[in-house]
Amino acid sequence: MDCEKVRAWFSSLWEKELSPFEEKTFREHLSSCPECRREYEQFEKTIRWLHSVGEVEVPEGFLPELYKKIEEKKGAIPGEKSRGRWFHFPLSFKLPVQAAAMVAIVFLVLFLTKMMPMEGDRPKEAKQTSSPLSVEKKAEQVLTPKEMEKERRALETSAETPHPKDFEQAKAPVLGEKKLETDAPRVMAGGEKAEAPSPQTPVSTTQAIDSREAGGVKTPSSAPGEIEKGLVAKEKSVVASKPPQEIVLRISDRKKGISQLHELVKQFGGEMVTAEGDRFLASLPTSSFSQFKKELERLSSSIKTDQLNVKKHATGGLRFEQGAKREEGDEKSKGSARLAADTESRTIVHILLVEE
Amino acid sequence: MMKTSPKIQKEVIENCKAGDERAFTEIVLQRQKKVFNIAYRMLGNSEEARDLAQEVFISVFESIKDLKEEIKFDAWLTQITLNHCRNRWKYLKRRQYFSSDSLDDPIETEDGSVPRAIYDPSDNPEILLEKKMIQQLIQRGLLKLKEDQRELLVLRDLQGYSYEEMGETLGLPEGTIKSKLHRARMDLKEVLERSTH
Repeated sequence: MDCEKVRAWFSSLWEKELSPFEEKTFREHLSSCPECRREYEQFEKTIRWLHSVGEVEVPEGFLPELYKKIEEKKGAIPGEKSRGRWFHFPLSFKLPVQAAAMVAIVFLVLFLTKMMPMEGDRPKEAKQTSSPLSVEKKAEQVLTPKEMEKERRALETSAETPHPKDFEQAKAPVLGEKKLETDAPRVMAGGEKAEAPSPQTPVSTTQAIDSREAGGVKTPSSAPGEIEKGLVAKEKSVVASKPPQEIVLRISDRKKGISQLHELVKQFGGEMVTAEGDRFLASLPTSSFSQFKKELERLSSSIKTDQLNVKKHATGGLRFEQGAKREEGDEKSKGSARLAADTESRTIVHILLVEE
Repeated sequence: MMKTSPKIQKEVIENCKAGDERAFTEIVLQRQKKVFNIAYRMLGNSEEARDLAQEVFISVFESIKDLKEEIKFDAWLTQITLNHCRNRWKYLKRRQYFSSDSLDDPIETEDGSVPRAIYDPSDNPEILLEKKMIQQLIQRGLLKLKEDQRELLVLRDLQGYSYEEMGETLGLPEGTIKSKLHRARMDLKEVLERSTH
């Protein structure tokens, strides 16, 4: 019998679980193997020592302390209780929770760091499209084809049947808008509905809005962009109006360019309404406008058409873009209003002179 | 080796489940020694063992209503005790509590709060000293073993659990318990041999 098997029986022999035959075999091996005999003696001693270990008395005050702890637990604030509990949770629970929290934090940081450059880019974008009219611009560009169509129709109808009532009806809401842009009393005099609020005194923007209310128009918010949108939408439902245009005239010699511009305007039967520095406002017959534009293109090294600041006017419906109007001031708007009243089909062109 | 405690009456457990504090007190008084001794041998520190034993009874107080079979109360109580011991062991080990110097020696602590072992008054001083040394050696040896080995030795050789009770408590087959217990005894023998030579 080998030593390993004999040593595996130590506990069984101690517990008296070996059969008589097994015990006999075991003891025969021990008598012949001093190594296993010594091992068994050590084993026996260990078990005897283990069994000799007595019981330990419970410390005094165990029960009162226990009740005290139970009372404390009963009266513990739930928040504090749960806070303390975390430390007693097993790692198998705590580690996944901590790992999940870490992953969440990493994602949050990545998300934030990705978002930051976008935030930083915004001012740049804003600078690129720094015009406060950019929104309005878009809105008007979207509406351009429809407006073009309406204008064409209006031109046709006005040419064929110039009915005074139609004219007034068409004019009134537009005049209301005009009041928003300018405080031209003459223009307001042309529209009966618009006269009501304050025909004599200059009208502020808010007053103009009020006047529109009086005219039965739904009040938009006082924000410029929204007012403009409201105007555009309103215009759609009224009469013809052409998309606004701006012509940038690039010239090398300023004086020469100005004189050439004046000549051109006169040549095409138009007149220069205002001239403020490099900004010119010209009134031209609609029929000769395209020819005028071509001539102007010849003058200019490059002409940029920006359908924004200048609007074509048809059938007396003269409309100014609000931003442009503010810059131009009273005189200009008075002039343009006069033109609107006097002519049936004229085009107002806003020309910007750029010296190169 | 401890004698097996008499079974707690079924009525007492039922009353405790119903919220009777006297029944709970009776259970504590009947089982506090066993719980405290298991904790003490598993942790080797009387302060920790006292605190842990109290935690065990708080757990009993809080969850005895969930105990379905009253007859298995002792196995259930031992399971709670061992679970608390495992958690406390991990907690203390992480804080490097169990360095060789921090071991709570049941004989030699100075503050006098160390639990007294029950000695035979007929023992003469030499035998008494020997017994003290043996107890010290065993406790140190136990703490050097693996936790599951220590559990087996404490339950079987110190608390006198039957294999059936151990199987019920540890959820292991009897054969597995016997072979593991033998391995634990052999390892303790090795530890003691190393420490005495």
